[in-house]
Amino acid sequence: MKTNAFLAHVVLLLAAPAWAQEEGTRWLDNYKAALREARETGKPIFLEYRCEP
Amino acid sequence: MFDAQVVLSPKNSPRGQLLAQYVAVRITRMDDVDIALFDYDRNNTLYYFAMNADEQIYLRYGGRDSASPDTYLHLDSIEAALRRGLELHKKYQAGEIPKAKRPDPLSPRQFPLLVERTYARNNCVECHLIGDFQNMHRELDGTLDKPRHLYRSPDIKTIGIHLDVPRGLVVKEAQGAVEAAGMKSGDLITAVDGTAVWTFADLQHRYDQVPRDAQRVKLTVERGGAPAELSVALPPLWWVSDVRWRQSSIEPRVYFDGTPVDAARKQHLKLDPDGFATEVKSVDMFAEVMKSHQLKRGDIITAVNGVSKDPVARTADLYIRLRVKAGDTVALSVLRDGKPIAMGLKTFRMSFRK
Repeated sequence: MKTNAFLAHVVLLLAAPAWAQEEGTRWLDNYKAALREARETGKPIFLEYRCEP
Repeated sequence: MFDAQVVLSPKNSPRGQLLAQYVAVRITRMDDVDIALFDYDRNNTLYYFAMNADEQIYLRYGGRDSASPDTYLHLDSIEAALRRGLELHKKYQAGEIPKAKRPDPLSPRQFPLLVERTYARNNCVECHLIGDFQNMHRELDGTLDKPRHLYRSPDIKTIGIHLDVPRGLVVKEAQGAVEAAGMKSGDLITAVDGTAVWTFADLQHRYDQVPRDAQRVKLTVERGGAPAELSVALPPLWWVSDVRWRQSSIEPRVYFDGTPVDAARKQHLKLDPDGFATEVKSVDMFAEVMKSHQLKRGDIITAVNGVSKDPVARTADLYIRLRVKAGDTVALSVLRDGKPIAMGLKTFRMSFRK
């Protein structure tokens, strides 16, 4: 079960960038690009640091 | 799964709508992170910051305890943190929040051993490796302060704070030191030593800054809409937590676990009542593999290098971890079946540090 949950997690995260752009929240993967976009839009930044399993 | 739930927040969900008001960014490589600005306990594999384009940090989200990486993570509390971040951003834009001084930048590339063993080999610069190699350089420089640098993120439960996790910093139950200081269930913790905290990660990060020899910490709580100041008397060893989950971070390796011998038994065995006499509860199989020592379960360690007490360490294994340099060999005084024997214990570094 643990292995299945882990694999599901990996698959979800690998799929995340493409899926998220179409259906869900848009996540950048570049810190400098995030700063640039925040400057241009006036939005705050929500930054996730994730050490990949 | 927590990060997947956050990253995959549906656009039309409350969480997705909050995230849409941010520029969301997910970083999985630490190669070029400013680790002074983004200071956090590197044994967290997941950590969040709400901030702005001026690199002013509003709040943190994440943190963990020794039991689980998920103890303090909850979708309700991250939504509350996202809402709070937006409020703070509005205040910042209105000039109501002063700009904080940015710390001098610090890159992981400034640690030569980390560069040699990860960047140069094209390996991933994992979060914990940054902390581990930073401490390794501190050790080489003679600036390593183990109680401060190795025992990060003291457990708030040690002083009796049990949080209502979905509700962030709302206290579910107050026991021990905080109960004695007047904390009650339902209180909302709002500041530590005068610094505002909005989330558990804020609280844990600020609490970690408290000097290890401090006698008291000041907590501000909100009760019935009014603030109350609590002066909490810190118990001895308040900063000590179970560090076994940190695996590669706490050196040296001693390959056994022990528990303190109780007062009655110390008296019976004619041991120093204030000493750190320790009963060996388990021996790691690597003790034999590495030829580290020949301790057995049930042995009582009465002294290390002739020292039997310490102002901080209450067990012999903690004494060795705090006072002995990895790689050194120590002399143990041991009681086995009531008879005193002497033996050596060779400590070890993790192989990646050699």
